Amino acid sequence: MSDFTWGLIQIVGVHTILGLSAYVILLTGQVSMAQAGFVAIGAYVAGMLTVLAEWHIIPSMITGGLAAAVLACIVGFPALRVRGLMLVVATIAFGEFVRLFWFNFDYRIAKGDIVVGPEGGEGFKQIRFFPENGWTTQDVAIFIWIVTAIILAALWWMDRSRAGKVLRAVGEDEMAAQSVGINLTVVKVSAFTAGGFIAGIAGALYAHYTTHIEHLNFDILMATFAIAYPILGGLANVWGTLFAAIFIQVIVIEVLRDLGDVRNLMFGALIILVMNFLSHGLFSAQVVRKLKEWTRLGRPSDA
Amino acid sequence: MEFVDYLQAVTDGVMQGAYYALIGIGFTLIFGVMNKINLAYAAAAFGGAYASLGVAALIGTGDDFGLPPLIMFLVSAIAAGLFAWIVYTICFRFTPDHYELATLMATVGAFFLIEEIAVHSTAGEPMDFPEVLQGIVDDPMIEFSDAFAIRGDLLTIFLLALIAMGLLLMLLYRTKLGLATRAVAQQRTAAQLCGISVDRTNATTFIIAGVLGGLAGAMIGAAVGVLSPLLFVPLTVKGLIVTVIGGLGSIPGAIVAGLLVGGLENVFLALRGITERDMYVMLLLFLFLAFRPQGLFGKKAVRD
Repeated sequence: MSDFTWGLIQIVGVHTILGLSAYVILLTGQVSMAQAGFVAIGAYVAGMLTVLAEWHIIPSMITGGLAAAVLACIVGFPALRVRGLMLVVATIAFGEFVRLFWFNFDYRIAKGDIVVGPEGGEGFKQIRFFPENGWTTQDVAIFIWIVTAIILAALWWMDRSRAGKVLRAVGEDEMAAQSVGINLTVVKVSAFTAGGFIAGIAGALYAHYTTHIEHLNFDILMATFAIAYPILGGLANVWGTLFAAIFIQVIVIEVLRDLGDVRNLMFGALIILVMNFLSHGLFSAQVVRKLKEWTRLGRPSDA
Repeated sequence: MEFVDYLQAVTDGVMQGAYYALIGIGFTLIFGVMNKINLAYAAAAFGGAYASLGVAALIGTGDDFGLPPLIMFLVSAIAAGLFAWIVYTICFRFTPDHYELATLMATVGAFFLIEEIAVHSTAGEPMDFPEVLQGIVDDPMIEFSDAFAIRGDLLTIFLLALIAMGLLLMLLYRTKLGLATRAVAQQRTAAQLCGISVDRTNATTFIIAGVLGGLAGAMIGAAVGVLSPLLFVPLTVKGLIVTVIGGLGSIPGAIVAGLLVGGLENVFLALRGITERDMYVMLLLFLFLAFRPQGLFGKKAVRD
């Protein structure tokens, strides 16, 4: 396969992780438009660790994720005070705030004969851990997909465990969940923290495969992509998010590249169409149940 | 900075705040009747302003704008009202009532659609927009001293916005249409039982909000001098911040918050520069969310 194909595989992997970070939070019925902000934190922190502190990618990535998780936890608490639509506005503002923070952040040190580090509006160049250590595009793609697979598996397992039921219970009906003894504070803040951690991981991978990040990468468009994958794919299970990320990045953006501008028009129109005709996403709980019936994996319905 | 500099910054800012207030009113009106956010609202408003440029280009010849600026404001308002109705039809009318995510996501889709149409039809270039007093007074300034002056174009825009707000309040509180709108906002089922068509009221509210947005879009074009798709996101964010600070569903709140945000923003700009300005506006929002989540005039019950 060509480097172009491997590059596309990298993009799909990172976008899947991005979608999964929003998936966890959406399960509790909260909409976070701040995911791009968490991605930015993971990207800049991990980038600074590999470039300035010369750490290995894996501890840098985890530290970046943890930094984003701490911020997400802090955001999660006020999120309890505001719900629904107010939360949408609050998280949009938070995401933009983080973006503007990196826009104004300047910390460079001399390394050999070049100066490296984040440079405000100019961005953060030369995040060259992969090329410096001789990783090929293929190696990086495989590494990204190992991380993606671990996160997919962890969330799939969580979905089937008690934790998943608790998250969904809060998402379905907060008051009912509270009345059976579920602690809303713990659940919502945990979901935000987990979502922040996963977004931070996505950011760390993103910073290293592009080697150059700037604040404009982490705008509202990225935040929208994050929630678009799970909402379009459906919240019934993690595969919907994976499918939507592949569909949008591969079919809509790559295969239809020749259509040029029209392709961008199609993206907006596609979202509107899906939301009108398949409001709960492509793989909603209903669709998944029918699919299982057809393939005889599930119990037959009562009817 | 001396006192007079602050005064100048606040004066300019409050006058520019008029269009934040108009956008904030639009968000708040829609929220009031539907309990949902229309994220495509500011984009549809700019769509109206772009349409007025299109109409002017069809009529005009050469370098000149084909229409007097005030007529362009009117065209923009009508076009934006139409776009708002389209947004209602494709994003709200047929999406499920109790699943807010679908509506929210659909309006995001509409935002991208409008933004892309604007980019597509202008090749992404910023488009010149005429000044509001073009052809009447050139570069109007009311000078009080060397350090303090009022820009005539901003003042005109400010007064126009106040007239529009006054007309809106009259429409809401002095007509049957307004009564129906307020009834649906207050208690949807009860309004329906009184024979009010909720669907038609919702559509009308969208059109009214759209008309205000179209005015705001043309005003921003006239004040900035250009229209650009790059304005869509910042104005959406500012409008939402104004809506929350004013209190969701409160029209007086949106007006006061719009002028407040406009004034403070200009002070932040003078003190800290353009790159940090918006960070302080967002900190202001976070302060409100932490200490007064119901906003300036919102009721506690409107928090959800």
